[in-house]
Amino acid sequence: METDEELVRRTLSEGSHHFGVLIQRYADYLFGLGMRLTSGNTELAEDISQQAFMKSFTYLKSFNSQKKFKHWLTGITVNCYKDLIQKENQHLSLNAKDEPSYTPHLEGNIDFFNLIKPLTEDEKILFTLKYVYEYQINEIADLLNLKSGTVKSKISRALEKLK
Amino acid sequence: MNQLEAIIEKEKETSYSQRNKELFSFYTLTLINQEQASKRLKRKLWVSLLLITGGIFLLLSPINKMMNYFILILSNPSTVDIFTMAAVSYGFLFVLIVFLKKRISILS
Repeated sequence: METDEELVRRTLSEGSHHFGVLIQRYADYLFGLGMRLTSGNTELAEDISQQAFMKSFTYLKSFNSQKKFKHWLTGITVNCYKDLIQKENQHLSLNAKDEPSYTPHLEGNIDFFNLIKPLTEDEKILFTLKYVYEYQINEIADLLNLKSGTVKSKISRALEKLK
Repeated sequence: MNQLEAIIEKEKETSYSQRNKELFSFYTLTLINQEQASKRLKRKLWVSLLLITGGIFLLLSPINKMMNYFILILSNPSTVDIFTMAAVSYGFLFVLIVFLKKRISILS
């Protein structure tokens, strides 16, 4: 089986069809991350994972092969989630009075989604990456371009809220 | 805290799968290719626009000089210039008529 880095190299030199293997490899992982961040909204999770793949293809040349492709992809997915939430909020504030309310299709572990409900978007992301995906503080800081201290303090604040 | 840990453990064990991974992959790749093609087209259009603008600019600058030259000649007419211009004009007309005659004979 080809490694992620080899597939990235082949995508850049031979064409986008090699990227299809990477999409298949990480489709479930990104969808799962999207589901956890959106509290089980399947449509949003699918959108986020698709956006993340498209963005990662666009910026594939900037991928540093010294790092893990999965970590890089995780960072992109989190950014896509933030962008989508921002757009959703803008859309909601503009059309709140005009459009009927939309009920998304929700799936997954309701207990977990209820647990992280009181957290802010940033805290939700950091908490999920730390405790569900078991990323180290410095890894989270690296993939989200944050300082380790900031990540640590935000996670401890999130834990305080959940106690 | 135990309850929190239990919920996290349960979430770790939960697995999420795309509804149709093959279709998702195919569709995403199609979107990627579409985006790439659109970017390539835009780049080509910009290059073409740049080349056309450059070409027009290059072509227009000597025409401008030539026009200035003719205006200068016409504003200071001398017999030699008039004869030269007449010779050039009639010569050009003669070449054009010969060329057109040949074309007409080929077509008929």
